[in-house]
Amino acid sequence: MDRKEILAGLIEVLRTVRTVDPAKLENVTEETDFMTDMNTPSTELINIAAKVEQKFDVEFEDEDIDELGSKVKDIIDLIIKVKARTEAERGE
Amino acid sequence: MITGRKVAIVGMGGAFPDCADLSDFDKKIFSGKSLIREFPKAVAHSKQVRSMVAGYIADNDLGIEPIYLVEGFDWPETFVDTLNRIPAINLATADLGSVWAMIGALESIEMAGWTTAETQSEKTGVVVASGGGGHVILRHAWHAFYELGKKSRMAGSHTVDRAMSYREAANISCLIKNKGVCESIISACATGLGNIGYAYRLIKFGLQDRAIAGGVEGTALETFVGFDAMQVLSKGFAPAESSRPFDIRRNGFVCSFGAGIVALEEYEMAKARGANILAVIDEYFNNSDGDGDMFYPSYGGQKRLWQGLAEGTHIKPDVVKVHGTATPVGDILELISVVDTLGEDGYHISAPKSQYGHMLGAAGSVELITAVLMLKNQQVPPCLNSDTLNPELENFQKKEGWEGSMKPAAAYRHLIQQETVNKEINQVVCLNYGFGGTNSAVAISKDV
Repeated sequence: MDRKEILAGLIEVLRTVRTVDPAKLENVTEETDFMTDMNTPSTELINIAAKVEQKFDVEFEDEDIDELGSKVKDIIDLIIKVKARTEAERGE
Repeated sequence: MITGRKVAIVGMGGAFPDCADLSDFDKKIFSGKSLIREFPKAVAHSKQVRSMVAGYIADNDLGIEPIYLVEGFDWPETFVDTLNRIPAINLATADLGSVWAMIGALESIEMAGWTTAETQSEKTGVVVASGGGGHVILRHAWHAFYELGKKSRMAGSHTVDRAMSYREAANISCLIKNKGVCESIISACATGLGNIGYAYRLIKFGLQDRAIAGGVEGTALETFVGFDAMQVLSKGFAPAESSRPFDIRRNGFVCSFGAGIVALEEYEMAKARGANILAVIDEYFNNSDGDGDMFYPSYGGQKRLWQGLAEGTHIKPDVVKVHGTATPVGDILELISVVDTLGEDGYHISAPKSQYGHMLGAAGSVELITAVLMLKNQQVPPCLNSDTLNPELENFQKKEGWEGSMKPAAAYRHLIQQETVNKEINQVVCLNYGFGGTNSAVAISKDV
């Protein structure tokens, strides 16, 4: 799964978050900031993380979430890192 | 404390089972319809529950659409308001009952005609609650955590605000942006009237000038199951015949859901701005049985309730809107406490639960709204299914130490009508009681 595919999947997740303005999803790039560019309420970030876990079949550690930045690229980096970690653990 | 202040009801709204809105509710109630239907959520578990009927509002009624996180899993992640009354940011923090509460608040404010400045004033309060917890929201959270062993975040970041005890008040306040009091008064089935009574006192005592007040009970099978387990729900009748206050064949109440919200305002202010005064609150009083019994109604407690109410105002009701749940003991004991207080003639008894069941935390407020509609329509709605009143004495009347009437329920047939009655109605007294032995009463009158 490359970064473009992950970004597309992430936008699909964001479309299900009612408090995110759909108009703001038109031009999302890796540099888009959830807080400053999309005005995402801080309480929604944890919901987005939980939905991303379901969408991409991964489970983040609490530390992953604590250290997560607020840009789109930060969550893509995390998904790639956790996917690799999960595959290593499963011996794939 | 300021003395001499009166309180007016200037707006109403809410969510009513099998009704599009308040005017539909008005029409159906006074034309003698039952709002009770087979309850699909109970029928889906027909081997596990006894009762199969309710007055309910589904997730997708009233222009609301639920967004389900997982297909086939009965847990709405949030709601969409297809009629654009409530913004998405407010819907995100609301369970179903809180959505109805917000709709009811907006309807009440619109009917009251309050300006934005009045609504957002420091002198405008919100006093609203429900009887039950946020069961539907909590079920998902606990299942994900305990049964599936998921991280706490899988419950979502809105488990607290969507399930906390004063969620309806909090959601209304965040929507309408009032700057006065925001609280919940929780007293089981007296909740709906208790919140309105408390808001009345806030205005009467000069602490607030306006308030949005009422009670809510969001549709939840969990709530239904709790009462079903106690074997106190009606069983064995067709839906419209299930709620049978005073009838000799009654075998329990119909568990129902809904929301009743009112806008209250200090009388002189409402009058000065030319508001339409729907009713004046003459007095509110509440007390406790004091007999240590969690469930059993108390004749003494109810007699003291009437005495307390009468100390604050002149009581001569044309209608007594009783709690009348259709449980075996409560109805006749309540009937006798009314008769022993007011005498055997000169008023009618209304038991609107016969038409829409027992809305628990919403009961007192939806029934108060029904009473306001009685003043407007000059009609008493029918007590459905009260077909046969017991010609024999009740067991409690035969016990040693009983101090009340020694006549059977059938002696009071003339007070309980099965058809809509047209008559002059100037004052209505509303009664509601709750587990824990809590009793509440309000008297309302037509503005003169």
